[in-house]
Amino acid sequence: MPEPQEDTQSVGGVRRQFRRYLRREPVILALLSALAVAFFLAVTALSRIYEAQQESLGNRWFMRGAAELKLRHFESAATEFRAALLYSRDSYTYQLNLAEALVGLKRTAEAYAYFINLWEREPENGLVNLELARIAAQKGETEQTLRYYHNAIYAIWPGDQQVQRRDTRVELIQYLLNINAKAQAQAELIALAANLEDDPSQQTRVGDLFLQAQDYEHALAEYRLSLKARPHDAATLASAGSSAFQLGQYSLAERYLQAAESANPNDAQSAARLRTAALVMQMDPFQREISVAQRDRIVLEAFAAAGQRLESCSAAGAAKGPATTPVAQPDLSEAWTKMKPRISELGLRRDPDLVNTAMELVFSIERQTSNACGAPSETDAALLLIAKLHESN
Amino acid sequence: MKATDVDIPPNSSDATLVEERQPTPALPFLGRAPEAFMRLVFREDRFFLVLSVFIGIFAGLSVVCFRFAIAWCRIYLLGSGATLTPLRMVLAPSLAGLVIAVLVIHVFPLARGSGVNQTKAALYIYNGYIPLRTAVGKFITAALAIGSGHSLGPEDPSLQIGASLASALGRRMRLSRDRMRLIAPVGAAAGLAAAFNAPISAVLFVIEEVIGRWTAGILGSVVLAAVSSVVVMRWFLGSESMFRIPAVQLERPSELIAYSVLGVVGGLASVAFSSGIATLRPRCKALPPWTQYFQPAIAGLLIGIIAVLGAPQVMGAGYVYIDEAMHGQFTWQMLAILAGLKIVATLLSFVSGTPGGMFAPTLFIGAMLGASVGGAEHVLFPHLTGSPGTYALVGMGVLFAGFLRAPMTSVFMVLEVSGNYSIILPVLIANTFAYLISRGLQPTSIFDVLTRQDGLELPSMEEQREEGTLRVEDAMRPASRAVLDTVLNAHESLDQVLQCWDAKLPEVRLVRMDPTGWSSISRPALEIMVKEGKGNLTLSSALSGRQILFLHPDNPLETALRYVDRWPVLPVVSRADFRKLEGVISQQDVLKRYQLFGEEEDISE
Repeated sequence: MPEPQEDTQSVGGVRRQFRRYLRREPVILALLSALAVAFFLAVTALSRIYEAQQESLGNRWFMRGAAELKLRHFESAATEFRAALLYSRDSYTYQLNLAEALVGLKRTAEAYAYFINLWEREPENGLVNLELARIAAQKGETEQTLRYYHNAIYAIWPGDQQVQRRDTRVELIQYLLNINAKAQAQAELIALAANLEDDPSQQTRVGDLFLQAQDYEHALAEYRLSLKARPHDAATLASAGSSAFQLGQYSLAERYLQAAESANPNDAQSAARLRTAALVMQMDPFQREISVAQRDRIVLEAFAAAGQRLESCSAAGAAKGPATTPVAQPDLSEAWTKMKPRISELGLRRDPDLVNTAMELVFSIERQTSNACGAPSETDAALLLIAKLHESN
Repeated sequence: MKATDVDIPPNSSDATLVEERQPTPALPFLGRAPEAFMRLVFREDRFFLVLSVFIGIFAGLSVVCFRFAIAWCRIYLLGSGATLTPLRMVLAPSLAGLVIAVLVIHVFPLARGSGVNQTKAALYIYNGYIPLRTAVGKFITAALAIGSGHSLGPEDPSLQIGASLASALGRRMRLSRDRMRLIAPVGAAAGLAAAFNAPISAVLFVIEEVIGRWTAGILGSVVLAAVSSVVVMRWFLGSESMFRIPAVQLERPSELIAYSVLGVVGGLASVAFSSGIATLRPRCKALPPWTQYFQPAIAGLLIGIIAVLGAPQVMGAGYVYIDEAMHGQFTWQMLAILAGLKIVATLLSFVSGTPGGMFAPTLFIGAMLGASVGGAEHVLFPHLTGSPGTYALVGMGVLFAGFLRAPMTSVFMVLEVSGNYSIILPVLIANTFAYLISRGLQPTSIFDVLTRQDGLELPSMEEQREEGTLRVEDAMRPASRAVLDTVLNAHESLDQVLQCWDAKLPEVRLVRMDPTGWSSISRPALEIMVKEGKGNLTLSSALSGRQILFLHPDNPLETALRYVDRWPVLPVVSRADFRKLEGVISQQDVLKRYQLFGEEEDISE
């Protein structure tokens, strides 16, 4: 019976083969697994030692760098932070401090590389956005600058978020003023003023920014708020006076400037502005609540002053040569000479329209000569301001 | 080429063309399932795959330890700060050089030399044998060298540590000779993948430079080992890439010209670098034996002097500085100086026989050169938009292609490291230029140069890649004689044969068998049929079951060689219509073509 014998042989062979497999491969796999686990545990222990050492070295160098940065020793701070980064290459804090040190060293390109990397990791970080905005501003990239400043304003800040955000907005406004984007600056200022706390120094600061942005109305409003808490603050009084002056509210300006002068007698700018404001109020023939005689007297004085201005201007022009003489000046001189005989107290009383005609000529002379004949005298400056005031009215 | 690549007639009786099947023993006491399970799990090729995973784990763990060792050597020998003191910069590499020389000469002689070539030698010469001692030696000496500031990298030692571990494991497992040969490259891929943190590049490099061929069995093992080693490495060291990768963008296609310039410069730099090694290494080896004790120390001293004079960046692997170069922290002039000094420093370290790899220095030189060329181009053409980081990344690929002559790996390495597909075009363009220039000016690749200097004759992967293949169409003759038809009887066929008889040509005529294929018959066979009174028998019935093999013009000639001795003439038919005869081929034709090919090779040499 060969077949059953063959089958038995086959079964026996397979059994032997099976036992051999069981003796060999699974045992090998088990041994390999055990070896791998042991090796893994050993490397884990080694890794802990390594990581602890790396962390400690990183911290040590970072602390040294932070101390140097505090002392504004940027070069050594950068070196220490670099050393710290050798041990924790991806540490956000180390990178941020290194970037700050690089900014201090004016190595903007390097700093930018770190900041942009940090920004990619945490786009909502206020400080990183602010630094990126500053770098973009230096590079003249307005769009990027505005983007990063706005990011920074709405970003997360460590410590007092409100203060950081406000300061960032102030920095943005100053940037906008520097690039002469006054309309955008005014919009930012309005937002800033809306969130301002009841702090007189902050109100004055915002008022100053409004003043720079030529938004005199808002500036005056901020100064007024500030003056409620500090009514004798000379700088605020002077700035409020200046704002009122720019708005053409000369009597209000006079009041503020007088108060400013008494608070700070050395403030020459306010004193000069006060004199101009007083002169404007004295020399304006169109102001209400003055008598006809007083109005006529003002017109006569203004007409005479315009004549003098023309004369001095012609003399200066002649001294410099014919090329510098303004083209329209002879016509004005001729018009002034022609009108002169009619300009008297009697003439003005007879013809009330002459007041307007005379003042129109005066304003034309002042405008023309202010463009061509250099700095005006205080009287001429006052007349020019009166011209502007009535021009806008 | 497998037999199945050739078309086999449907009813072929050729036993050699049928795959051999192993008899499967039955398991009556357990049914067939356990037997199938055992076969499935414990067959050597399956077991080899499982083993590859273990090789990857062990290689990954070893590479992690190796990285720790380098870091500790650096801290204790050079100091822990970013700025090194001049005394340490000079003393550390010099004294470490002395220790390394003693270790290499007396304890670990195989630790010297290229890991890639030693792995290739294991594959082609030593049946997969690499002593475990080599791994230990490489670990200690390379960690000392790199940690003390020698201008070398950890990748090649990692590759060799992986290969050596794998070889030791394979020997313990008593694997068959074929598997043992392959185990070293598997370990090499694992080691390189962990060192590079780039499994694809490691797999490609080992396939491209060590094994030289793609088969599913090898690829599976190599991939498994590489992936498991990278997983282990990332477990301990994190998954961050070696550099902070900057944003990469190619805004205008015209900027590819700028990258081509980088390819040309990189190609020339590669030639300078490899020529330096090719020239200086044999000279250093030829010096009196006692000088071997001092060569690494002198190399270390010179590197230290370079560092003290203002370029400490050339010390060690230099990954930190590659990162800085990528982020525009050096001027283009400084970058060019650093590239030049790194070539000098690496030459000194390598030719002095200090153990360590050239991958990291190659990447360093490439990054510096790339960022420098990019910076200079920006000065000349300010409208270029590529960042220094992009040029540095492309530069790394360029040197990889030009110096290591691994064009595929160079492209994938940059893609894998950058994780950005936008860089593909600049890399392809620049690498191609660098590779062609390097290949044109220095026909022998650096690995082959080193192999020959070491007195070995290993197959050159580059030459293999570029070797021409002879095909059937190169040897076949036109089918000058009419083909016999199966409807003809023996009489008619003999008449046709005699009508155009040529004594110089074989006596065999091809017969087109409708619809199944081809057969052949000789004049004597026809004459015998007629003599025996079978003249009216048609060829179809006479030749039934006697079909012959046919070939296609694009089949390799070596395939034809396997069959031409069995039939005097074989038909070469169109792939579109196997009834359409394109030509015929005989053993004589094949041999004649090979003879001609040998003469052409001699002339070209």
